[in-house]
Amino acid sequence: MSGYFRVRYAQDTALLDSRTQKGWFAIFVVALACYPFLANALWLDLANQVLLGVVGAVALMLLTGYAGQISLGHAGLLAAGAFTTGILFKEFAAPVWLTLPASALVGAALGLAFGLPSLRLRGLYLAVSTLALHFIVIHAAAEYETRRGFSTGIVIDSPIYEAWHWYFALLAAAAATVLFSLNLLRSRTGRAWRAIHGREAVAEALGISVPHAKVSAFVISSAITAMAGCLFAYFRGFVSVEAFSLYLTIQYVAMIIIGGMGSILGAILGTVFVVLLPYAIEGAMARLGLAEVLSSVVFAVNYAAFGLAMVLFLVFEPQGLVGIWRRVRNWFVLWPFKQRAVR
Amino acid sequence: MQLAVNILVLAAIYALISCGYVLIYRVSRVLSLAHGELMMLGAYGLYLTASLFDGHPLVAVAAALVLAVLVGVAVYLALMWRMTGESVLAAVLATIALGILLRGAMILAFGTQTQHPLRDLGWSNASLELAGARISTVGLTLIVATLAMYGALFAFLRLSRWGIRMRAAGQHPLLAAQRGIGLHGIYAASWGLATLTGGLAGMLLAADAGLEGTLVTIGLKAFPAALVGGLDSLVGALLGSLAIAAAEVFVIHYVDPLLSEVVPFVVLLAMLIVRPWGLFGTREELDRV
Amino acid sequence: MRLLELQNVEAVYHRVVTAVQGISLAVPQGAIVALLGTNGAGKTTTLRAISGFIGLDDARVTEGTVLLAGERIENLAPHRVTARGVALVPERNKVFENLTVEENLQAVVARRGARFARERVYELFPALARLRRREAGYLSGGERQMLAIGAALACAPRLLLVDELSQGLAPLLVDELMRRLLAIRAETGISMLLVEQNAQVALDVADYAYVMENGRIVLDGTPQRLRGHQDIQEFYLGGAGRRRSYRDVKQYRRSRRWYG
Repeated sequence: MSGYFRVRYAQDTALLDSRTQKGWFAIFVVALACYPFLANALWLDLANQVLLGVVGAVALMLLTGYAGQISLGHAGLLAAGAFTTGILFKEFAAPVWLTLPASALVGAALGLAFGLPSLRLRGLYLAVSTLALHFIVIHAAAEYETRRGFSTGIVIDSPIYEAWHWYFALLAAAAATVLFSLNLLRSRTGRAWRAIHGREAVAEALGISVPHAKVSAFVISSAITAMAGCLFAYFRGFVSVEAFSLYLTIQYVAMIIIGGMGSILGAILGTVFVVLLPYAIEGAMARLGLAEVLSSVVFAVNYAAFGLAMVLFLVFEPQGLVGIWRRVRNWFVLWPFKQRAVR
Repeated sequence: MQLAVNILVLAAIYALISCGYVLIYRVSRVLSLAHGELMMLGAYGLYLTASLFDGHPLVAVAAALVLAVLVGVAVYLALMWRMTGESVLAAVLATIALGILLRGAMILAFGTQTQHPLRDLGWSNASLELAGARISTVGLTLIVATLAMYGALFAFLRLSRWGIRMRAAGQHPLLAAQRGIGLHGIYAASWGLATLTGGLAGMLLAADAGLEGTLVTIGLKAFPAALVGGLDSLVGALLGSLAIAAAEVFVIHYVDPLLSEVVPFVVLLAMLIVRPWGLFGTREELDRV
Repeated sequence: MRLLELQNVEAVYHRVVTAVQGISLAVPQGAIVALLGTNGAGKTTTLRAISGFIGLDDARVTEGTVLLAGERIENLAPHRVTARGVALVPERNKVFENLTVEENLQAVVARRGARFARERVYELFPALARLRRREAGYLSGGERQMLAIGAALACAPRLLLVDELSQGLAPLLVDELMRRLLAIRAETGISMLLVEQNAQVALDVADYAYVMENGRIVLDGTPQRLRGHQDIQEFYLGGAGRRRSYRDVKQYRRSRRWYG
């Protein structure tokens, strides 16, 4: 008798439940561990950026992809975390084991503020309210900068310097975030989020407290995002309000859309895509010999290409990279049978 | 008195920009966050036609306006028609992505230096004295243009057959299609009209202060005006713009000039909490399960 | 001449749920045809397949053809179907609430080359003439139905599709509206397809009728034939009601199996 049966609860709740999966995962872990020793400086830095991005992208995926609460205030939350770190560092010389939890707390508090409108608003209006809050947070940060004389930004001393030290630190952070999220999604809270995403009235009828679920989604997601902002501050060694523009929010939103909504894997794939896109463009420009011609406006080319990529995904591949991945995987799983397209 | 004039000019700017938001939302239920970039594109259009029709400023202005309409229609036909029927979020994100794409393309095409289309047209922005307050010629033109545009739009939507059809399509697209109204044509027309008004606003702003990247942020600041008034009401856009302009000018004058950036959004937030559909908007979107 | 013909039409929702199957019906020129059935029988889906709104709710006509005067119109965009002379009076969302009665009629885009004057609509429905400036949202149910029919007529159609005319209206009003439809047909020769749950009323005006159940047509014929049919009497016209013995019921269920 062949097949894939689960006969114990432990099997049902496990993250990896077959020998093949565990095998692949082990290989993956080994590859990740060896990566910094095999990659050159550029690729190591790219990996670091991807890992840092994953933390924020997963947080946004939890809020928008799973709980269905549209938020355009992501950059504001990242800024909150980064500025909390910066302020605590500059004013009180606080060490990292203080700034990280403090950022999380500030993020959670802001998450409450961002989340309260969601009790009354939905969809478009909710997105707009988060946008408004984003601008207010950024303004407050800019106020702090000018009043305390840090108009060019706050410099932060990071406890970690080496790129490969950062690699393992960020890998741990990303892994922790992914693991936390996967478990949260399989728990009661995660199921409540999926329910309110589907149909709020039905969720309410099933006994799920919709306000509680919405606010918890915002608070948890914002806390993680603020922690990402804190890591951001240490990684860059520098905190300034210009880095947290609406464009940053859009980049994160693009990560979850291009990756594929409603999937943690999607958040990871989307982050890889968005982080690598500018470098890919640079490489393409160098190949095509356009490097000198467009070097002065390379950021404009990035802008244009980024916008184009988003539009193409929205129009032609709404399920994102995860959708493509699933189609590829199904093709392999079903081979040599063809998947008959249902008319 | 000077304060009142400042408020009127600022309100005119916001009103002219926000009627674009309202037109697109009212007719096709899409919130176009690319409006700021389309404004700037309109202004660049004037910059182009000014050099093209050197010595014929009126022709240049007319050509630029026609260009703005065509660009709006083109945007719909190239991209937004694919988004009809998709979720609201997807359509909004498509407009954001379009905005990003346009901004990059504009920098690539025109560079980053500030342009002065007014000078290219051979006109100057004289300062006028009006009942004891100073106002620039462009400021006065703005107020007149805004009032004229709103008047024309009201007349069009209320009295003309195609205006009635646009309102019908905005209410019940399905029923409108059943009554023979071609939705794609209506939506394209709304985008054309919106880009016309936005482009006009962009041109006037560029005439006043020069054509540069900050034009887009003004477009974004006008967006709360549209929402506060009610996203599908032109009257609301007018009054919302007045309200926000007044709030902003008073805050600048009496409290702190640096807060001007954030005042529109604070007002917006307050409105969203108290009355999310705005002063004159229709409630429907929010209660649907 | 058959103005409308459906040949073996099958419509599927979300690519997996077959809503209707093997639907074949015809509406001769100038005739009034009724489509009867209970809730969920597939009548609205059939109407959508004809009027072009099948794309709603991710549905498609997957088999068969819909012919309008010999031309295939299945899976065409709705406004193109309207341009070819098919107007629908929907069950819900029949009017533009924020527009006045006059504006509702002005918004219509008539079939090219044909005209149906607004004044004629007001002649047919005098009640509407008195309410020209009233916003449609403030009309009563009967007035709304009249406006919906009037707006559909303003499209100058060749074929009028009416979805559940009688729903929610007082019986006297329903009778009145049905008589108006007969008058319209007599005056203009417009063919009509009436989808109805109220078989009594529909059979009074129709020239021919089809009965749908579970997505298929199970019976068709002239009103006389249908009225005499035992099943129709029992399920749609409230007939029967005599006491049945066990043998009767068993016999009945056996014969029903052939229809299902």
